[in-house]
Amino acid sequence: MNITHIDELDRIEMPDGFAWRPVRKHFGIQAFGANAYTPGANGRVIEEHTERILLHEEMYLVLRGRVRFTVGDEEHELGQGQLVFLRDPSIRRGAVALTDDAAVLAIGGKPGEPHEISAWEYTFAASPDLRAGRYDEARRLLREGLEAKPGSPPILYDLACVEALAGETDTALQLLNESIAKNESFREYAQTDEDFASIRDDPRFPHT
Amino acid sequence: MSDGYTILTLDEVETASHRDSNLIPIRHALGFQPAGVNAWIADSGGQLIPPHEEDSGNEELYVVVRGRAMFTVGEQTADAPAGAFVFVPPEVYRTATAEEDGTIVFAVGGTVGEAFNAGGWDSFALADSYRQAGRHDEGRAIMEQLIAERPDYWATIYNAGCFEALAGNADAAFEHLRRAKELDAEGHSAQYFREDSDLDPIRDDPRFQELLG
Repeated sequence: MNITHIDELDRIEMPDGFAWRPVRKHFGIQAFGANAYTPGANGRVIEEHTERILLHEEMYLVLRGRVRFTVGDEEHELGQGQLVFLRDPSIRRGAVALTDDAAVLAIGGKPGEPHEISAWEYTFAASPDLRAGRYDEARRLLREGLEAKPGSPPILYDLACVEALAGETDTALQLLNESIAKNESFREYAQTDEDFASIRDDPRFPHT
Repeated sequence: MSDGYTILTLDEVETASHRDSNLIPIRHALGFQPAGVNAWIADSGGQLIPPHEEDSGNEELYVVVRGRAMFTVGEQTADAPAGAFVFVPPEVYRTATAEEDGTIVFAVGGTVGEAFNAGGWDSFALADSYRQAGRHDEGRAIMEQLIAERPDYWATIYNAGCFEALAGNADAAFEHLRRAKELDAEGHSAQYFREDSDLDPIRDDPRFQELLG
């Protein structure tokens, strides 16, 4: 039987201070998005974000412990067996753990469309290697993402970060410009992103 | 609470009885669109997930939210404490029973490569529970809402026919069933007309013969 406890799932610590526990990826689920989260270094459980780009409806179900959700301007403390459903993708949402054992399951997708694996699953997976300077491994995971999602701007952008950090200036600039050509919002991110410190003085760097 | 979001406590949602299980009709309560989401609740020894197989392409994930459940998937059984995930591929037999009082199993389902399209079985289960409790108007309101959402879907209209047959409204039942037969281009309904015990209350009505023809 294909059975796995939340504590047995991979634990991928993200820079924003939460830990991603891949569920969809673990089971190879293709029909819908499913991921779990537990507290990371600073006690965050769900990163602050909106779904304005992906236009996903999302549902967060507390599996264990207590969690404080911030939804728009409101705060809600939820415990085991309580959920928050966000039908409006523009609402800002995030959560912090109130107990160390907190665990939250997230289900989401774009209404009326078949499930597609989100680009962030690949960028999240590569994040620990990128931060730890394991550029070959980060590059491999992101290239795998590009094969699954050709031309994906966030994957191109993160690959540009890897190449810039690895000293591959030409490749980094090419990837960064490619990501911006597909999604102009990455131009702004690039201006303050420390990962590009080594290439920001290059005349080819995409300034605003 | 804003219009853009809803907070729900699973064990405060009114349950529906469905095939000897207690369904917490989450999808119906929220109008969630990307996937089928529901939960089952039972006391120790009670059935959580009704025994069934899913059609080709339908993947389902179950999560024990509270308590402890005994899962059977295919020919294997496993003890699943709170926090356990069980993934079941299409066309594989599955069921689960509670091993502690108040056990809740959350279920997510969808079809690979297809946008989720609610068939409405969960809403129908709630409508049928209302009917059994004598709350016909509340049940009928759900059926009317389902039909309004997919006016050309024969199965929903067929279920509305069953609802009215069981509620003792033969005229309304025949109206729905004739319409269902008309919409069911592939003739799936023929077998149901012959065998569905929900239609027993109107089977002796002379109008029933038209449906079989």
